[in-house]
Amino acid sequence: MTNQIDLEAEIQRLLTEHDRISEQGITVQRREHQVVLGGEVESAQRRDEICRQITERFPDIEITCDIGITRAQAPSEVEEIS
Amino acid sequence: MIRIAAVGDVHVDKDVVGRYRPALEQLPDRADALLIAGDLTRHGTVEEARCFATEFGGLEVPVVVVLGNHDHQSDLQDDVSAVLTDAGITVLECSSTVLEINGHRLGIAGSKGFGGGFAGACASNFGEREMKNFVGTTEDIAQRLGEALRSVRCDALVALTHYAPVPETLVGEPLEIYPFLGCYQLGQAIDSAPTALALHGHAHHGSERGRTPGGVPVRNVAHPVIKQAYNVYQLLSDSVDTELVNA
Repeated sequence: MTNQIDLEAEIQRLLTEHDRISEQGITVQRREHQVVLGGEVESAQRRDEICRQITERFPDIEITCDIGITRAQAPSEVEEIS
Repeated sequence: MIRIAAVGDVHVDKDVVGRYRPALEQLPDRADALLIAGDLTRHGTVEEARCFATEFGGLEVPVVVVLGNHDHQSDLQDDVSAVLTDAGITVLECSSTVLEINGHRLGIAGSKGFGGGFAGACASNFGEREMKNFVGTTEDIAQRLGEALRSVRCDALVALTHYAPVPETLVGEPLEIYPFLGCYQLGQAIDSAPTALALHGHAHHGSERGRTPGGVPVRNVAHPVIKQAYNVYQLLSDSVDTELVNA
């Protein structure tokens, strides 16, 4: 059983070090009965893989995946630098 | 007038190829060059570098990049750089380039940079060999970036890094990880030259705007921060129209 104190650290390291994930921009927040994953990734496949891997690794924990896909539209404004 | 498009942390692999392309096809109508602030790939493999070159290469404007920490993950950074260079992309590492744009010389000096922290909460070159190696790397990269910046003769000078040169653009990240997101020495390097704009990535939860202690504007262009394919910044302008052509 994972020590609750170490849970966020274990998830954070898995997110970064797992070869199929390699994400450093995912937030891990513990709620009363669940862990919420947040942040944004570049594709829906990456989001789904994160949720799959975390759920497999921590089957006793309710995982909520609030991870979004970063938009990639062209900009409509320019900023003048002075 | 020079318009620079910039983004960082695009983390391209085969699942991303095609996502940026519609916006990139419009880029020549909006900007004169594209600068990318590192983390071009997920794991720094040659295959991912080819995906990046497919997605971001072949544009009608020059593309200038630095590598990020993800691009070092497989210890193949030289091979990654070679793939990009072969695709016509300029890769900077403590080096510089000058682009002739609209009768102006745009100078770009770039480096991945490194961590180390900021005033009041930074690592010191002291103690264990591992710690001295860490901070020694920070100092060496910053020194060489400063030399690259000071070597450029141009009308507008841009500093391009992956790691952050100031803490302001990290606001939103946990304070505890600031030393892994950037270092004040990069800010000192940027302030040692007449830099007009400093661009960086790496901090996905950071903030877009900051300034160095010397007053140089800093922009965090990490993709999750800017939330679009790229931002556009205008330099050397007499007047500015904030609406982009064909927007």
